[in-house]
Amino acid sequence: MRMFATIAKLLVMRVLTAIPILFVVSMLLFGILRILPVDPAAMSLPPNATTQEVEAMRSEMGLNRPIYEQFGIWLGKLLEGDIGRSIHFRQDVTSLIGSTLPATIELALLAMMVGTVLGIAGGLFLFYVRGTRAEAVMDFVSILLLSLPEFLWSLFLLLIFGVFFEVLPFTGRLSPGFERPVVTGFLLFDSLITGNIATLLNAMQHMILPSLALGIALSPALMRVLRSSLLDAYQDDYIHQARLRGLSEKRLLVRHGLKNAILPTLSLMGVQFGFLFGGTLLVEIIYSYPGMGNLMVDAIRNADLPIIQGAGLTYCVAVLVISIVVDSLYLILNPKLRVR
Amino acid sequence: MRPIPLWLKSGRVQTGLVIIAILAICALFAPWLAPNDPNEQDLLAILAPPAWADGGDALYPLGTDSLGRCVLSRLIFSARVALTVAFSASVGAMIIGAFFAHVAGYFGGWVDWLISRIVEIWLSFPPVILSLILMVGLGTGLRNVVLAIILVDWTRFCRVLRSEVIVLRRRDYVSAAQLVGFSHWRTITREILPGTMPLLITLMSLEMGVAIIVEAILSFVGMSVGSETPAWGQMIADARQNIYEAPFNMIAPILAIFFAVFGFNILGDGLRRTLDTRLTQTERT
Repeated sequence: MRMFATIAKLLVMRVLTAIPILFVVSMLLFGILRILPVDPAAMSLPPNATTQEVEAMRSEMGLNRPIYEQFGIWLGKLLEGDIGRSIHFRQDVTSLIGSTLPATIELALLAMMVGTVLGIAGGLFLFYVRGTRAEAVMDFVSILLLSLPEFLWSLFLLLIFGVFFEVLPFTGRLSPGFERPVVTGFLLFDSLITGNIATLLNAMQHMILPSLALGIALSPALMRVLRSSLLDAYQDDYIHQARLRGLSEKRLLVRHGLKNAILPTLSLMGVQFGFLFGGTLLVEIIYSYPGMGNLMVDAIRNADLPIIQGAGLTYCVAVLVISIVVDSLYLILNPKLRVR
Repeated sequence: MRPIPLWLKSGRVQTGLVIIAILAICALFAPWLAPNDPNEQDLLAILAPPAWADGGDALYPLGTDSLGRCVLSRLIFSARVALTVAFSASVGAMIIGAFFAHVAGYFGGWVDWLISRIVEIWLSFPPVILSLILMVGLGTGLRNVVLAIILVDWTRFCRVLRSEVIVLRRRDYVSAAQLVGFSHWRTITREILPGTMPLLITLMSLEMGVAIIVEAILSFVGMSVGSETPAWGQMIADARQNIYEAPFNMIAPILAIFFAVFGFNILGDGLRRTLDTRLTQTERT
């Protein structure tokens, strides 16, 4: 019971520190995009609008007030869930983000699973071959892999499996002619609960390459940390004693090695998963995947400020949420908290 | 004759230096090495395959892009943008990051608290998103790409170096310098900086690889240099539009980026192994 109280207290602290971070982030987003040489008022009017009309629009949008007042108004609306209207799409930014975010979340979650599986498997393999000639080779390979960000992996996989072997689709979420059930907006989840297996399978096929690209890019960092934490764990006396007690190597690894090596790996995952979420932007563009990344880049090309601000802020919130979730997992698994 | 320094004997360092030298030669002598003008459009030879493939033309050894521009020439000229960004962005990020790391680590207290919080805020921005937003605010162009990368990546240096400075600050020779009456500035530059230098050089080498990727990403989405300057990311974006007709156009710039990033990473890894005084002799080889 006391363990829960400690964890809850630490988590509340963690969430509370996220609030000032978000405040400064929104200030930065507002500030960076206010130095732009474009006039949002002129942009939201037809090109033949008169100077008076532009002036009227400026005062209506509050652009003639001091900048800190503008920020106050913007922040106030933001807290009510109103990020403004897209200049280009003529739609509420909240609804635009709401319709694209689920796709990005699904991609990110799938990629995290792929990356974790690959990272743990790779780390165990690196550990297994320790001290052999294979280790030197693998070490070299892992530097090679570290040189490849998700950007290059996406392109490689697209060329190999999409263009040369033509085994997997690489554009969009669904092939033409598939029904798109809408319940929650999460395509995989929705097609599963409506029993639409054909759509589910097709959507999964479209997600293999993007999630693989993100997952593979994530895995080398996990591999290396898991290996070195396993090496550290095996230095300790309890491994020696367990071995003397006659435990099999497999049991030794699972019960003693992994149990102690998983915590440092987990604390790295929080940061890495955050990077991965940012990486979805590029992968989405390369695979024409209709998520928030494509929305953001469209908005950048059209200098559509409300979307850029809204999407930028959403990315930051996602990174903070990911790090809080991973941190709480860390706290729950950390045996040091149980003693107290 | 002076003996060859230990770090230069490392195979990794040598490999990295050779790769970087090849890139630098491409960048410096691009007008003489490239078979064609990188911006000249041959509209009669659009998306030509490489010279060795069917229908290839010896005039364009690696074929042409969707506007009939020579892929090999663009590839060679793009090394200019890549290396300019790699060197200037990493030097800039290093100076800012190292400055704040040394100030934070040396003085501690509220200065350290403030700098650490700023770094924390920066880290809540995914790097790609932050650099895109900065490019929107700054506008495209080579100078702004460099500036955006510096503004995003100084935290990489700051975070890692700060903890190193904190370790070094507690060393006896630093206290000795302070007792003798060295100024803070002199203590940092003469006593602490030599200790952080190996890590700093290693980080810089890795940062050059990161900067090349970020530039490629920015030019891929059209937010880097203007369209008249060839860049690897632009070439990839062009090839993505015509992926079925000319898949080879995409392979060439991908391999170029990979080659460059691998060069900087292997150099960084080699330097880390040879310069880090805490590694044992066996770990180094």
